[in-house]
Formats: sequence, C-alpha cells, structure tokens
Amino acid sequence: MGKHVKPTDEELLNYLDGTVNPDEAAAINHALVTDQEVAQRMEELRSVHHYFLTLTKEEPSNNFTQRVMENLHYTTSHAYSPRNGLMLLIGVMLAVGIAVALLAGGIFDEKATLDLNQLVVVNKYLDWELPAIPFNGKLIVNLIIIANIALAFIVLDRTVLKPWFARRRNMHVM
Amino acid sequence: MTTEQEFAIIDQVLAGNSHAYAILVNHYKNYAFTLALKVLNNRAEAEEAAQDAFVKAYHHLKSFNRQSRFSTWLYRIVFNTSVSCKRKRKLPYQPIEKNHTGIKAEAETDLEKKDKKKFINEAMLTLNEADRLALSLFYLKEHTLEEIAEITGMQANTVKVRIHRARQRLADELTRRLKKEALTL
Repeated sequence: MGKHVKPTDEELLNYLDGTVNPDEAAAINHALVTDQEVAQRMEELRSVHHYFLTLTKEEPSNNFTQRVMENLHYTTSHAYSPRNGLMLLIGVMLAVGIAVALLAGGIFDEKATLDLNQLVVVNKYLDWELPAIPFNGKLIVNLIIIANIALAFIVLDRTVLKPWFARRRNMHVM
Repeated sequence: MTTEQEFAIIDQVLAGNSHAYAILVNHYKNYAFTLALKVLNNRAEAEEAAQDAFVKAYHHLKSFNRQSRFSTWLYRIVFNTSVSCKRKRKLPYQPIEKNHTGIKAEAETDLEKKDKKKFINEAMLTLNEADRLALSLFYLKEHTLEEIAEITGMQANTVKVRIHRARQRLADELTRRLKKEALTL
C-alpha cells in the first residue's frame, strides 16, 4: 500500500486484526492522522470490532449435560418422518378396515385347498404327486389384521407419541 | 483438555463406557450452545439443536477419524443440526441487502438509546447465519480460519471474505442508524 493511497476497508480490518506488516501499519497510521474520512471509517469499523471482542460464550441450562446423557440411548426413528408415519398409519388402518369388511362379508368363510399339482412347473418337472394343502383363509386374514394392528401401534408410537412426549418433556424442563 | 485426553475419553466411550461422554458434553456444551444460538437466535431451539448434535455425535463417534480436533468435528455437527433446524422452521434466508426494512419497525423504539452495541446487535440479525457464525467463531478465538472453514463447510478464503464483508456491512449499518438517530434528535 502506497503512503498516499487511501486504505481500503479490508486493510483497515486487517490492521484491527493485527495482521498487517509494519510498513502497512505505518501507512495506515499516517492515513488516520491525515485523512479525516479514513479516521471516521476506522472508528466505525473499530466499533464493530470492539463489539465482537466482548463476545463471550453463552451458557445453556444447568441440566444440559444430564438431558444429553438421558437421550443418548433414546433412538428416534429416522425412517419415518411424522408426516410419512401418519400416511403409513392411515394406510395400515385402511387395509385393516378393508380386511375386516371382507371378513364380515363372509368372503373367507369357505375353507380352500391349495393343490400344488395344478402348477405347470410341477407337472413339467416332477413325476410324483404333491399333497393338496388345505388352508383356512379366515384364519390367515385374521392373522394379517392382527399384524397390521401391531404395526399401526408401533408406527403411532414412533412417529407421533414419542416425538410428542419428548417435545413436551423438553418444554417442561426449559 | 488436551487432544490426548480427548482421545482417551473417546476410546472409553467407544469401549462402552457411555458415562465418560458426559465429560466431553460438559467441556464443549457452552461453545456448542453459543454456536447453535448464533444460527437460530432462539435459546430454546438452540439448546435443543445443541443437545441433538451431541446425541448425533455420540452415535457417530466411530466415524470420527481423529485427523481434526474433536471440537471441529463436533461443531460441524452442531452447525448442520442448527441449520437444518432453522430450515424446518421455514424461515427464509434473508441477505442483509433485502432485510433493512424488516427490522426498522423494531429499531424505531431503540433509536433514542444511543447504544452502538444495541444497534450492532440488531444489525447482526440482518446477516445470514453463515456470516454471523463465521464472525462469532472468529472472535471467540478458539479456532483458526481453516477450522472455521471446516465447521461451516466453506473455503478458508471464503470465510475470511465473509468475516470482512460482514464487518463492513455492520459498520455501514451502524453508521446509517447513528445518522438516522442524529436526525431525529
């Protein structure tokens, strides 16, 4: 920086940060004495600089560490956002509703038999006969409904209840 | 706390002694909270974000490769968590140029107080979170420009430019407000 060149903001800030070399510092000192505009700008930048020099670290609440430690083993479900969870919940309940309606309509009342010998692949590659497997459609649908209800409870717990209680607990502690 | 002590605690935690993690939390909580606060500007949210960050760091401790300081790695998580928390709030990013009018109404009542510190404090809110954070980290003097760059995911030169530019803007804003105050007297 030349002696008669007006220092830039960047040079003035470097001066405040103490990162200028002695020649640059001398040139800025000279400009501060001889140029009112530079002195004024330096004053403005110095105000900001001093503001930040008084900056201190903020302290969180007293039980901060305790709460972190309590939450260490609390694993949140990252697979479902509350929105996705609710969508899944609605889907599961809808499936359960349809299954219950079909059950009530008596669609699964008749016992069926699964005859493996009717499969083309079996006829083509096997010489012996396979047994016919009887199955109770009503029982299977009932099991699916129970599994869906259990899934619905898990989704409700992870995506709605747990986050809600965690938020409530945080509000009370703070 | 020395780096060796830190690594020894991390080893203990990784070996299954989760209680040892409390030492790290206690040691870094103020800085982590300050960092989150600079991004979020809300104590309750900053506290939640900082806590989430500590929990995330605990679960990913294995992935800390020890090539940088633990604090740098941790603060990067705090920064990312805070920024994502801010995004969830859906607050639009507001660069300083477009934000003057946003704080005028609040500032009117304070103009009579002749308090530079207050003006700068308010003007700080007009900076985007990356600038505000870079400035705060720079003045807290615990990290080099390179480490600040690592925490904020920027280049060191970019951090320096941001710090300079943010201070220029704050100085301009301070001048503007003081002039305005002088006119109202």
